[in-house]
Amino acid sequence: MDSVIKAAVVYFALWAIIRISGRRTLGEMSAFDLVLFMIIGGSTQRAITGQDYSLTNALLLVATFIVIDIALSLVELKSPFMRRVFNGMPMILVENGTVMAARLRRARITEENILESARKLHGLERIDQIKFAILEATGVITIVPAVQAGRIEPAAAPASL
Amino acid sequence: MDEAVSRKYPVREDMRFQRRCWALERVGWAVLALIAIAGLTGAFGNGPVSRAHASAGPLTVSYERFQRATRTSAFIFDVTHQAGAEITLHLGAPFQRNFEVTSIQPAPLRSRTGPDGIDLTFGAEAGGKSRVVIWARARSFGLATMSAASDGGAPARLRVFVYP
Repeated sequence: MDSVIKAAVVYFALWAIIRISGRRTLGEMSAFDLVLFMIIGGSTQRAITGQDYSLTNALLLVATFIVIDIALSLVELKSPFMRRVFNGMPMILVENGTVMAARLRRARITEENILESARKLHGLERIDQIKFAILEATGVITIVPAVQAGRIEPAAAPASL
Repeated sequence: MDEAVSRKYPVREDMRFQRRCWALERVGWAVLALIAIAGLTGAFGNGPVSRAHASAGPLTVSYERFQRATRTSAFIFDVTHQAGAEITLHLGAPFQRNFEVTSIQPAPLRSRTGPDGIDLTFGAEAGGKSRVVIWARARSFGLATMSAASDGGAPARLRVFVYP
């Protein structure tokens, strides 16, 4: 009985902590973030299993986690509000080449993060080549390049060069 | 257009909801920080806030007010007595119910278990002051009120809160 309760408590506690920590942590995972997540996993794992290393307990825990996961996905499917609560919403960071500085600050994202995504996804070099940069609910930054006549704007060399 | 205004294209935004999320996030950070600070002070056991004493007559018990399930902690019994005598510690039934004794230092000469608890008899120190340390593991979470007495004297009350 306590295995199921423990699993549920850990599921929601971890969900709350990860949600509180902000989306930044999820999408743009650095090498150290990976280590951090492994430590979090290791610390909670012992608390859930305790001294019961039986196969029954392991299956019970896995079943509980998956059941909660499925139940929540069904709730999300039914209710757009709950979907927002669980996953957050997408937000525009760059609009027609203009950085929305206040939003970046609140979301703890730098212009560098956006440029990194722009380079990675589209080989863009400057903010003004970006039509939209969007922080998706999943935590990744997606880029819509500025398009002119069906192709990406010619990368004119900045005037200063 | 003002940054605070929700856009509809290319994604549908809800900045009011977003701002609420951010506010909750900040509250969450504060709560997490408080948890960490509380942990440092010993509010979850093993720290200055957690240290507790209970005494009755010749017996003083030092123990942890806050404990965690399955974690071992020390109950230190200091007894003053006549030189050379034997001392008997009585731990009430709730102690037996809530804790699993993992070690007793020094080893008791005799022990007896009954429905009213455990009696442990030790050889007393010559100086008139003896110390017994019992390491015990909390079995389940919740508030436990226990009693301990020496040589049939009035019982000292121990109140322990065990975190899950």
